[in-house]
Amino acid sequence: MRRQRSLLNCAPISARQLADRPMRSALSRTDGSAEFADQQNFDRALARLVRLIAIPAESAEWFSEKDLVPASKRTWKNTLRNPAVLAISIAVAVIAGVFVFNFVSHLNDFPGSATARKLLGIAASTRSVMLDPVNAEAGTLSDLFFMKHGLEHYDVPEEFADFDTIGCRVFEDDESRRIAQIWVSEKRMQFFLFPAERDSKTGTVLRFPGWRYVRQEGWTGAVTEHSGVCFMAAVRGSEKDLAPYLTQPKE
Amino acid sequence: MLGDSRKAQEIFHATLREAAVRAARGDLPDEQFWLFRDARWRCLEATRTDLQPEPVEMDERDVAPGAESQIQRLDPLQLAIWISAAPDPQRSALALFYLDEFDYREILDIADLKLSELSHFLAKGRRQLQAWLDSKFPQASKV
Repeated sequence: MRRQRSLLNCAPISARQLADRPMRSALSRTDGSAEFADQQNFDRALARLVRLIAIPAESAEWFSEKDLVPASKRTWKNTLRNPAVLAISIAVAVIAGVFVFNFVSHLNDFPGSATARKLLGIAASTRSVMLDPVNAEAGTLSDLFFMKHGLEHYDVPEEFADFDTIGCRVFEDDESRRIAQIWVSEKRMQFFLFPAERDSKTGTVLRFPGWRYVRQEGWTGAVTEHSGVCFMAAVRGSEKDLAPYLTQPKE
Repeated sequence: MLGDSRKAQEIFHATLREAAVRAARGDLPDEQFWLFRDARWRCLEATRTDLQPEPVEMDERDVAPGAESQIQRLDPLQLAIWISAAPDPQRSALALFYLDEFDYREILDIADLKLSELSHFLAKGRRQLQAWLDSKFPQASKV
């Protein structure tokens, strides 16, 4: 209230000096009070009289028609310090950050990458006792999956076919897809075989070439698709731990 | 500020001369109102050695609705002398405000005042001016 009173005492004489927001706000609250109207009339009359004070010709020519004070330019620094601009900038930066994060995290997506990430979570929580003990090379398990569970093309790629198996199991995920899980002794790696993603309209398999990586909770998976079935080799570590197996094909 | 056009002109030219010299040296301050602040200090310096008005408690009256007609009867030079006789910083506040070239923030900057101080000087100045107008033109002061 006191500040408003102070501002009204300094209220501009002419409207051209109304750029200040607190002043505009204070003026809008006067509600046409007679006291303030008297003050304004008083000030205007005095300002008119001041303009009549003679200025010597020598000095007057310096002023001519130009403004006494050039209008202050709005600098970038001032604009950025404006709370509204600052708030909008932060909001835009956060939105842009989220957008970029989503974009980058989905940059390497491929059909089946969401399932592969879920399976990496399962790999992290699986204990060897949960699997049926099997003592065979991983490549031979496709017959077991076909004979015992009726799963066709659940084949371990030749890059990983020679690895000795500790155990395996077949289970259904939350979408009732049948997943084969194999635990091998090499680097305590786990393999997953699961149905490839299909086009929701046509039902055709969404294929992708070569090997693709997925990462989740410190685990990395290398995924490939063959005959409508995806194979993923999962290991606790990074792509560096899997790369040697993929770049050096078995003879 | 001075109530004396000859002195004002001297200070005006001295201020401009100083500005020209500093500009030639590439030594102009990076402040928007340095020229006005400089001119104000020169005015204050010039009046320091002058005969000082006797410090008296001036009458004060509320601004009257008919004050406009009283002001119209006033000679501009009389107003200039009245303002120049006010003690500083009230003098600077009134001179800068009624020059109607600066907004209140600019006046605060030039005269090194706080908002509450500027408000106080302007309100007090209005009341004193009204009392002076009433004493000069008593017929218009009361209804």
